[in-house]
Amino acid sequence: MVTGHAKDSFEGIFKKAVRSRISKQSDDTCEIELLPPSAINATTEEHAVILTVSSIVFRLLLVFHFNEDESTREYFVNEGSEASLQEVLLEVFNLTCGALNQELLQYFPDLGMSTPYVLSARCLPHLLGLKPDVLSSYAITINGHVRLGATLCVCAHAPVDFIADLSAVEESSGELELF
Amino acid sequence: MIGQYLLAALAGSAITALLALALHKLHHGKVVARIRSEADARAESHSQIATRHSELAVQAEQANLALESLVSQLREELAQQSKIADENRALLAATVEDKNQWAEQAKRIASEASRLKSLAGTFERWHEQMISLMAQNQDMHAKNQELSSIVKHVVIVSLNASIEAARAGAAGRGFAVVAGEVRALAARSEELSKSYRDSLHRNDITTAATFQDIQAGGKMITASLGSVELLAGQFKSRLH
Repeated sequence: MVTGHAKDSFEGIFKKAVRSRISKQSDDTCEIELLPPSAINATTEEHAVILTVSSIVFRLLLVFHFNEDESTREYFVNEGSEASLQEVLLEVFNLTCGALNQELLQYFPDLGMSTPYVLSARCLPHLLGLKPDVLSSYAITINGHVRLGATLCVCAHAPVDFIADLSAVEESSGELELF
Repeated sequence: MIGQYLLAALAGSAITALLALALHKLHHGKVVARIRSEADARAESHSQIATRHSELAVQAEQANLALESLVSQLREELAQQSKIADENRALLAATVEDKNQWAEQAKRIASEASRLKSLAGTFERWHEQMISLMAQNQDMHAKNQELSSIVKHVVIVSLNASIEAARAGAAGRGFAVVAGEVRALAARSEELSKSYRDSLHRNDITTAATFQDIQAGGKMITASLGSVELLAGQFKSRLH
């Protein structure tokens, strides 16, 4: 029920949101690699953060997976900060999903976004149980050494077809999504 | 002689008188002719004036008739305009009444939309139930983990029992069978524990996805109601 154009648009919007919100500095490199479908059964990360964007015709689940390793902690947690890696990442992932939500609002006027929730990454294979129309897993690498994973899952309840205009200049700051 | 003179004088007088009479008649004739001519001219003039008067009277009559017709027409038009004005006045009053009703309706829609926005609280309450459910799932994860540890321990114990049974030789055969059964039971328990863990993970993702959908859907509805409230407010403002 999700056309090829819509699938490409969802994936393009996801990548744009990740590139604009995951990296701390604008000159940090952010590589996003699409993984084969089987990768969802072999995630190496331990934790997963799930967020949902709902519309009348579809729901989009954005799942970020991560390990609480030293390189991830060093990159995301500011020196001297008392916040835990999980707290910082919840905010970063929430902002990323907020950027994705803002972009989708151009094509779907009625949208709502959930607050993030932490699960075990072992839950990821069970996303297939939701019978998604789009299920894509990605490996995200920042500055060549900080590694995260992400899974985009779209379940449609009606035909979804749109073409996202991804040529627009990315904004340097976006609306703050509070949770 | 004197008689002749008198006769001559008389004759002269008579001739003079005749001449005077003739002259008088001639003059009188001229005067009469002139007067008649003037009288004729005046009569002609009077006749023309009378004709003109008659024509003017006809024209005046026609003008009078046209004027009366115009007055009548104007009267009809005035009556019609008055009727239209009355109708327009009634229409305007009805329109004003309609406008007031619309404004009232817009106010009610805005108020209703504002009231329904409190549904967000209901959706959040449902979402809070997810936290409770997930806490229970976490508890079941912990118990299953404990079960898995016990099963692993049983497997080791049964393995040790098998080894001890083997050492006992023929005397330990019966014990070896029991140890084998215990190991088989432990293996089944381990499978069951793994399956249960998978079920819990599936339950985790299904629960989280469902409740997040409810929460996000609630925010979507709240935002839409906010738009309805705004539009109703703008409509009401335009009506006033």
